[in-house]
Amino acid sequence: MTRALRIGLLRLTDSAPVVIARNHGLFARHDIAPEIVLSPSWSNIADGLAWKTLDAAVIFPPLAIMTALGRRGHAASLRPLCTLSRGGNTLVLRGTNPLATPWPAGAEGRQAFDRWQQSIGRRPRLAVVHMYSTHLLILRRFLGQIGVEMDSGIELVVMPPADMISALADRAIDGGCVGPSWGTEACLRGLGFLVGGSSTVMPFHLEKLLVISDRIADRADRVKAALRDAVAYCRAPDNRHALAQELAQPPEKGGLALPARATLATLDENTTPEPVTFVAKEATHPDFAWITQDMLDLGWIDEDERQILGV
Amino acid sequence: MPIDNPSDPLGRTARPPMTVLVADANTRRARALSDDLRADPSLRVLSVPAGTALIDAVRQHHPDVVLVDMGRADRDALDSIRALTQPALERPVALFVDRDDVDLMETAFDIGICSYNVLEAPPDDVKPLLRAAIALYSRFKRTRGELTEAQRKLAEQKRIDQAKRLFMKTENTTEDQAYRWLRRRAMQESRRIAAVAADYLAAHGQGDES
Repeated sequence: MTRALRIGLLRLTDSAPVVIARNHGLFARHDIAPEIVLSPSWSNIADGLAWKTLDAAVIFPPLAIMTALGRRGHAASLRPLCTLSRGGNTLVLRGTNPLATPWPAGAEGRQAFDRWQQSIGRRPRLAVVHMYSTHLLILRRFLGQIGVEMDSGIELVVMPPADMISALADRAIDGGCVGPSWGTEACLRGLGFLVGGSSTVMPFHLEKLLVISDRIADRADRVKAALRDAVAYCRAPDNRHALAQELAQPPEKGGLALPARATLATLDENTTPEPVTFVAKEATHPDFAWITQDMLDLGWIDEDERQILGV
Repeated sequence: MPIDNPSDPLGRTARPPMTVLVADANTRRARALSDDLRADPSLRVLSVPAGTALIDAVRQHHPDVVLVDMGRADRDALDSIRALTQPALERPVALFVDRDDVDLMETAFDIGICSYNVLEAPPDDVKPLLRAAIALYSRFKRTRGELTEAQRKLAEQKRIDQAKRLFMKTENTTEDQAYRWLRRRAMQESRRIAAVAADYLAAHGQGDES
């Protein structure tokens, strides 16, 4: 008997396809025995891939790239299997929005930032979920659009997505860029307001993909088929309520203990400007081009490595 | 924060102790690991108090080595120190990796412990520390497994006793007769007595009481 496929993920709406594929027997239908490893941090995902405690993971491209390049101390033979989600990241700040809307690019956005910064009375502490995240790239681009330097204009901190709720409540951070459904949850609780996110910076960008180790390449097609079925379920508007309820269940009952109302909101473009769009397809060259360009600009990779990646 | 300052009883001049920060949310395990490490007088062992962020403890105490329970979600912040602009942290840290001993590294990650080094003056003797941590974590994992098994057996026995009492009451039998009935059902159905007892309790509206 083949051993269970260990798939790492975090408590996020866009982990849904893997959870659904397991809970609804879609992996089993394709003769895959999954073991979901609910991880407390992105470092655990990266180390799990690098040091063989995971066979696959739901992950964002920058961290997958850095892991594959051996930045966890051990070159990992990884391959992107398919996309899982696009968009869905939110930029949330605490306090009061000086504008009644998300912030526009240019001088008007800068004025809003300055007025907001004055109201909080310090250089803003903004959180991202990992150093090598799409969230950091989106935050950096957003700040660039309103003329704020990330290095000097803010203090950048790193914390897991679910921790941002209490950090906002305690004023340990002044905002951050976070994945679904945590930004929406912060807004629903009155802890913050939305100034932008995926759609204002890089609409429909690749957010989560499933990467697999070369060790399980023989099972790749079956895993992909199961995830396509799961994504079809997650995309159907009629399934939104059931999906949100399922993800809200505690892990011992097959869920991710996500906040139900916020999770439902993240599934519908009518209830949030930053919805999650589930897509199970091949990642394309443009999906990676802007990401690797930004990684190059930030000095995370060099031109040779970008060439090696072939993106 | 507990601090041990090793002293040399012979008054010899020793090299400065290596400072090790133990970051484990499991307080019992953190204490046990710290005690193990303190047996080595060349180590100065600190631990991260509950409620203190790992990155803040590192900033405050400048350890040479950090042993981190991978269950700590705030490990991500430590990972990023090298890449982030952190003027408050003078000495950046990096994940300790032994490329010559892949088995050691895989074992460490598998059991849920990892180690970070100070970059500017990386200590030489990290492997023994990591091995000590792996051994301690293995011991705790084994003990936890044994405890879980003992708890499972206790819960089963409690369920069987409950079912016996209920059977004695409803069928007006002795304890011995009640047990024989449960055992016979278990044999007929090729199931464990505890499972039969659980079904019997559930059928009489007393399930999930144990």
